[in-house]
Amino acid sequence: MRVAPIPRLIVTRLALSVLSLFVVSLIVFSAVELLPGDTAERILGREATKESLAALRTQLRLSDPAPERYARWLGGIVQGDFGRSLVADRPVFSYIAGYLGRTLLLGGLALLIHIPLSIGLGLLAAARPDGASDLALSAAVLIGMSIPEFVVGIFLIMLLANDLQLFPPLALIDQAKSFGDVIHMLALPVITLNFAMTAYVVRQTRNSMIEVLKSDYVRMASLRGLSPLRVLFVHALPNALSPAINAIALNASWLVGGIVVVEVVFNYPGLGRLLVESIRFHDVPMIQGAALALSAAYIAVNLVADIATLLLNPKLRTRTA
Amino acid sequence: MTDLSVLLESRPRPAGRRFALQRLPVSAKVAGLVLLAYAAVAMLAPAIAPYPPNEIFVGSPFEPPSAAFLLGTDSLGRDVLSRTIYGSRTILLMGGAAAGLSASIGGLLGMFIGYRGGVLDEVAMRMLEIIMSIPSIIFALLIVGSLGASAPLVAVTVGLLSVPNVARVVRAATQSVASEDFITAARARGETSLSIVLRELLPNVTGTLIVEFSIRTGYSILFIGGLGFLGFGAQPPTADWGLMVNEGRGTIDASIWPVAAPAAGMAMLVTAVNLFTDGVNRLFGPAEQGGVR
Repeated sequence: MRVAPIPRLIVTRLALSVLSLFVVSLIVFSAVELLPGDTAERILGREATKESLAALRTQLRLSDPAPERYARWLGGIVQGDFGRSLVADRPVFSYIAGYLGRTLLLGGLALLIHIPLSIGLGLLAAARPDGASDLALSAAVLIGMSIPEFVVGIFLIMLLANDLQLFPPLALIDQAKSFGDVIHMLALPVITLNFAMTAYVVRQTRNSMIEVLKSDYVRMASLRGLSPLRVLFVHALPNALSPAINAIALNASWLVGGIVVVEVVFNYPGLGRLLVESIRFHDVPMIQGAALALSAAYIAVNLVADIATLLLNPKLRTRTA
Repeated sequence: MTDLSVLLESRPRPAGRRFALQRLPVSAKVAGLVLLAYAAVAMLAPAIAPYPPNEIFVGSPFEPPSAAFLLGTDSLGRDVLSRTIYGSRTILLMGGAAAGLSASIGGLLGMFIGYRGGVLDEVAMRMLEIIMSIPSIIFALLIVGSLGASAPLVAVTVGLLSVPNVARVVRAATQSVASEDFITAARARGETSLSIVLRELLPNVTGTLIVEFSIRTGYSILFIGGLGFLGFGAQPPTADWGLMVNEGRGTIDASIWPVAAPAAGMAMLVTAVNLFTDGVNRLFGPAEQGGVR
């Protein structure tokens, strides 16, 4: 069976991503349709008279059929018009960029720590399979992934922020004055996110490293008298990495969803918290904007992760027949 | 092909599965016992909880642990132990329902498209992929936020969101059985697709289904806990662990118990589910199944 060449795979994935984004827009639009009341009532509030409601409904063309309104809404979005926030009375678009940026900053930092940390721990565990450090790591990792991130976050705040006063309890990044401040404020949320992500990658790295270390060519390399470090990093590691890369890719996309809870725990002004808050206030244009932007980020991360996995996996890269 | 005896061939009975539980690793057995204990606590909640879970001011607010209130009281003077005990009911019911829903619907769907194959399979797989490429938490927040948060709605939403994951795995397991002789024989006997799926395929993917149910239970509990914490799960005054953590976190300096008790309950429960999943996966799983999240 011929494996599709890489460029074609990438194009297919790209098309699928655009399709996903379209489905997301349908879901976002239909979900807010289910909210009680209509846009006119939400804009004018409870004291609105019947006449003013009717006038606004005509003005906003709310009696048009849903598909028509959806097309109009989507048309606006494509041109960067996300509507005005009902709560803040400002264009939604002016919010999205800043909040998205902060979410990506937090997620990016978490990933930056995650990759070397989890692969390193995986190698440590593989060094002596079933040894003390391996078992301790397995246990720690299992417990780490079993505690919900909001619990981890709250206890980190209690211990490291309130008791030891090492870090600020809330990530009020607007008040940061320097890059050092930013790192200091984001330390706890980054640790929280890493708690949840580490387990899977450690396990994958450990298992595949143990497999590779047992293989003939690695033993051959050792028998030839190469130094253990050279065998480990130059001969074994590159081949052991691809399951770990897969796992990291999965984590990267998990991160976009997992970040919602962590942003709320640390009061971090990112897209996830914006979405939760705007759902609470029934701020429809803001809900739509935040949900779309966050989903787009998720789909983009997925796409990049998929392509990276494809390019980094030597087996997939060279197999042509 | 004149030998018609193949038509009478019945599905192979997987050897030794009846006593599979005995072959679980010790860690999974212990985890199983812990899960049974949780189930017992949940069922016996009215008998063992010292106070009604939602009754306010059975003590004064933020009492430390004492003989009268083993885990202290919360900001409204409710007994934390009683609320934690009742909270096990909420999460086990919701998590179990969600996992059951995704395993049954996803299982049926996966078996059906895996068995039928062809265009149906192709189209269904593309649709599942698209659904999986949308972040579940956003999906859940939108649906629950629009329709109004309630425990049944949250359980159904979380369950349905996992259907694609289960369907994909079960489909793969089905495909590996679908070309076997006993399936061909059943088709030649004139069995309907539904009957083949339920009578011939189902017994052969039971192991996969058990693993998936177990994985989905752990996932659903964490997911539902997170939604509860965000205020999009069971609503006050329900004793729900996620909600309890959220309610208690603002006053954690006054008393840590209203947060620590449900948090510990949750952490131990998910650890047990994950250990159990590991065990059944080693027994039935085709390969490494991937992380719980």
